[in-house]
Amino acid sequence: MTTEPVRNEYLPIPAVIKDIRRETFDVKTFSLELGEPHGGFVYRQGQFAELSVLGVGEVPISITSSPSREGILEFTIRAAGRVTRAMHELGVGDLLHLRGPYGNAFPFEELRGKNLFFVAGGIGMAPLRSLINMVLDARGEFGEVKVLYGAKSPGELCFKEELSEWRALPGVDVLLTVDRPEAGWKGPVGLVTALWDAAGLSPTNAVAILCGPPIMIKFAAAGLSGRGFADENIVMTLERYMKCGVGKCGHCNIGGQFVCTDGPVFDYAQVKRMPEKEGVF
Amino acid sequence: METRTLLKADVKTLLHEASKKWEVFAPFSEPSGDVNFRQPESADPGAFEGLTLDDLPTLIPPKRLFFPQSEKLFEFERGKIRETPHASPKLLFGMKSCDLAGLLFSDGFFAKDFPDAYYLSRANDRLTVVKGCLQPPRPGSCFCSSAGTGPFSSGGFDLQLVDLGDRYAVEVASEGGARFVADHARFFAIDGDLGAAIADTKAKAAKALGTGIEFGKAIELMATRDFEENYARIGERCIYCGACLYTCPTCSCFNVFDRAAGGSGARFRSWDGCVFEGYTREASGHNPRAKKASRTARRYEHKLKYDPLVAGRSGCVGCGRCLDSCPVGIGMSKFIREITQGTEEM
Repeated sequence: MTTEPVRNEYLPIPAVIKDIRRETFDVKTFSLELGEPHGGFVYRQGQFAELSVLGVGEVPISITSSPSREGILEFTIRAAGRVTRAMHELGVGDLLHLRGPYGNAFPFEELRGKNLFFVAGGIGMAPLRSLINMVLDARGEFGEVKVLYGAKSPGELCFKEELSEWRALPGVDVLLTVDRPEAGWKGPVGLVTALWDAAGLSPTNAVAILCGPPIMIKFAAAGLSGRGFADENIVMTLERYMKCGVGKCGHCNIGGQFVCTDGPVFDYAQVKRMPEKEGVF
Repeated sequence: METRTLLKADVKTLLHEASKKWEVFAPFSEPSGDVNFRQPESADPGAFEGLTLDDLPTLIPPKRLFFPQSEKLFEFERGKIRETPHASPKLLFGMKSCDLAGLLFSDGFFAKDFPDAYYLSRANDRLTVVKGCLQPPRPGSCFCSSAGTGPFSSGGFDLQLVDLGDRYAVEVASEGGARFVADHARFFAIDGDLGAAIADTKAKAAKALGTGIEFGKAIELMATRDFEENYARIGERCIYCGACLYTCPTCSCFNVFDRAAGGSGARFRSWDGCVFEGYTREASGHNPRAKKASRTARRYEHKLKYDPLVAGRSGCVGCGRCLDSCPVGIGMSKFIREITQGTEEM
């Protein structure tokens, strides 16, 4: 067997942390600037990258910034494991390493003219934000935009300033709910699915886009289905433990597919075809 | 196909000569009784003494030469990354047809979509010399004739040895194979028409290695049925040691981790396995495939259901290593018997 040399997909490139915004007690948003060579890091909405703290490890993180905003590359990261905790220790000017972008993307062209319902739970807002801002940057080309966002507590809602900015735009509504209210919380309490009526949820000319914990996705997708959304109009991005991000290490496989290369974005029809014992939800 | 002959008595001398250019890997009988597919221990002519081309079972398939159990991906020092090189010409002499099938399957997997630079750089300049089995190296466990991978390869090799008594017929199937024969021409004779003798040896071998394993039927059944009861029962019996995965010619799962001290270190990858409980566990503690039955299903469905769907052929090559290496007697041939005959083998 004789093969041509191929690009080494596992080598990350350096990225300088230009800004860090604290979102919640355990979530921060990192703005990165790529050093040379940047290898043409051109991403689409809903894709992810493999981020490294050299010496600690590498994790897949969804890109939360939008392709419509050139030159901006942001990742919203919850300190959940060893590597993400190490990232939270870093400061402005420190180095991360990155490779990608990987995975498919949220639909965009196909969404033109549609009413859009974004349904987010917890850190699941991070990948949705990429598409939301892209849609809002072309506001006139879409119908009504409703953002339904649930978190454990008011303090755990990310992107608070941006949520207010979105809400102020014409034809955009942002509905929030929490599991555990705190003093001063005037909004609803309960699951994100309890917001259906307040959001005026209707399947007519509409697409719902979901991201959140597996249990939330499970109930939200079933709930939307019950409200008349066709499976193809319920779009979700799945999370799975991953190592390589390029369809080799095997960790994220579900049936004959890899979440990293066949996804992470799937519609409900595709998800329903996945074998139940693989624990999709 | 062009054919030459090679005297059995000349094999060790040939390999010693070839080892000046190639990293030669071949089956060696160890004092322990194990048979390892490895390099000779030195450059001395005597280093090939333990070489065996008998139909003996090698422990680890040649996969490890291209996808090692553990390997360094790159080194780093104060944020700067240094790639580690790998390529070298390898001669795989006397590998079995099932292992060639495994290697060709792995080639396809590592080359597709995002090609794996580490595997492919090692597979570059590789020469495969298959030696077809006349008797099953793992009687009761291996089933190449059912899986369609042996006892002789039908293609994909550079050279293939067919046992003719005191010599081998050498089938030359590639330019690389022809070049090797030309480079060592004094060992390779032209011996007239060997067609009938080759066909006779292959027919006898096919008979000797015939099994009652209904591989095709198993693939068909797996495409449409869920053998939940089998997965639950086998899942309870399995001790999750991973021996079946590590000895499988096509298992390719890996883990990635860093080792560092004082700002410098390296990133490594090492074999991992889908049957391990931690394989799919997320940082939150959530584990989508925690159940033993699901992990057991994953192993069988990957090889017999999803590989045929995605790669166009099963990732099981019928080598029998999973059953031979299993401390509790679980293996692919038994699983196939269970689902095709409705029996309980494990």
